[in-house]
Amino acid sequence: MRQMVSFTLRQGGYEVFEAEHGQAALNKLQTVTVDLVITDLNMPVMDGIALIQNVRKLPAMKNKPILMLTTEGLAAKKEQGKAAGATGWIVKPFDPDKLLLTIAKVLP
Amino acid sequence: MQNQPGGARSNAPSSVAEAVANLEPGVEEELARYLPQLDRMSEQLKQTSAQIETSVVGVCDSFQGIAQRARQTVARTTGFLGQQGDGPSGKRSFDGLIESCGQTLVKILTATEEADEISRRAIDRIQQMDKASELVSRALLSFAEIARGNRILALNARIEAARAGDAGVGFGVVAVEVLSQTERSQKLTAQVSDLIANLRQLAGSTLDDLKRMNEQGHKRTEQSRVEVDESLRDLQAAHGEMKEMLTGMTEDGALLATDIGAAVRGLQFQDRISQRIAHVVEDLGTIHARLTTRFGGLAAGQSASDEGFSAYTMQEEREVAGMGVAEAAGGEVELF
Repeated sequence: MRQMVSFTLRQGGYEVFEAEHGQAALNKLQTVTVDLVITDLNMPVMDGIALIQNVRKLPAMKNKPILMLTTEGLAAKKEQGKAAGATGWIVKPFDPDKLLLTIAKVLP
Repeated sequence: MQNQPGGARSNAPSSVAEAVANLEPGVEEELARYLPQLDRMSEQLKQTSAQIETSVVGVCDSFQGIAQRARQTVARTTGFLGQQGDGPSGKRSFDGLIESCGQTLVKILTATEEADEISRRAIDRIQQMDKASELVSRALLSFAEIARGNRILALNARIEAARAGDAGVGFGVVAVEVLSQTERSQKLTAQVSDLIANLRQLAGSTLDDLKRMNEQGHKRTEQSRVEVDESLRDLQAAHGEMKEMLTGMTEDGALLATDIGAAVRGLQFQDRISQRIAHVVEDLGTIHARLTTRFGGLAAGQSASDEGFSAYTMQEEREVAGMGVAEAAGGEVELF
């Protein structure tokens, strides 16, 4: 799934950095500057909610958009994501064109 | 219990039956609580297998569609370039269009050259007319000379008639009439000379215009010929490049079809996975049946799923487990 999302983003002209799980993503964000984060909810080592909470603590990422891309559709989980600092919630399977439109909307 | 080398004795059971018979109290109830879980696992696996198959079939269909469209596009364009003259649908091929274009340009040049030739002939005729009018002018000059001579003669005749007295009266009248006619013809000659002069002037300016037009037309025709030749050469070169490109595309299209064929073959992994999943489902069913036979009546009403046994997030998973329905469907996007 990560590769499918990367492929879609690269087709849309974006530069993409990948990470296998939340902790790897957090480590990467210490060394690279990004304009947007897309994360899954269920990940090993560090899940999506924990990742968002940690990412929001980074000064450079305080106001950057973070999208959750997950199979989870429960409203309660969405609220949890929103409270953690997510900018938006996309339920899989995603439509590539819709994903690119959403990204264009949330990017400054 | 078995005797081990060195004199130590193992507590491991020698058979499943022995193991079951030696279960500690409460373990049977514990195992019974997991029976519904086995059932759900089987159901999840079956659904997963079906979904994989559906997805793979869909992807294969898409690949086939891509390959088909690629082949059709290349075939259409190759057909258009490759035909000579008119194609089966009556439309011209690219080769035919270039040839037709060249022929039309040659016709235009030929028509222009014919127009040049016509204007050259017109110039010749005007020059001839100018020569003729020059001859007329010279003739008129001679005529004027004769008229002048006649006038002098008429004047002399009047003088002689006057000298002749009465005998010369008739002669004098004739002389006066001759003088009058001479004067009339002098006037007419002068008018005709003026007309001829005007005509020659008009002819002269027309001739100048025609010469200029002919000269410019000739230069333009020559220039157009050079430009037409260059354009036709460029068109031929572009046509050649297009043919090369299409040959490349045809080869790429064939490779694409090969790649897609390989991908379709690769996607058939789902068949192996479906079989393996089916085997696992069967094994789970066997285990479930045996455990149900042994422990089915125990721990009724209790289920292991309440312990957070699995992290189900998808609607279909929750439905199998009876855990409630997700409130957002796949593809939904919500911005906070």
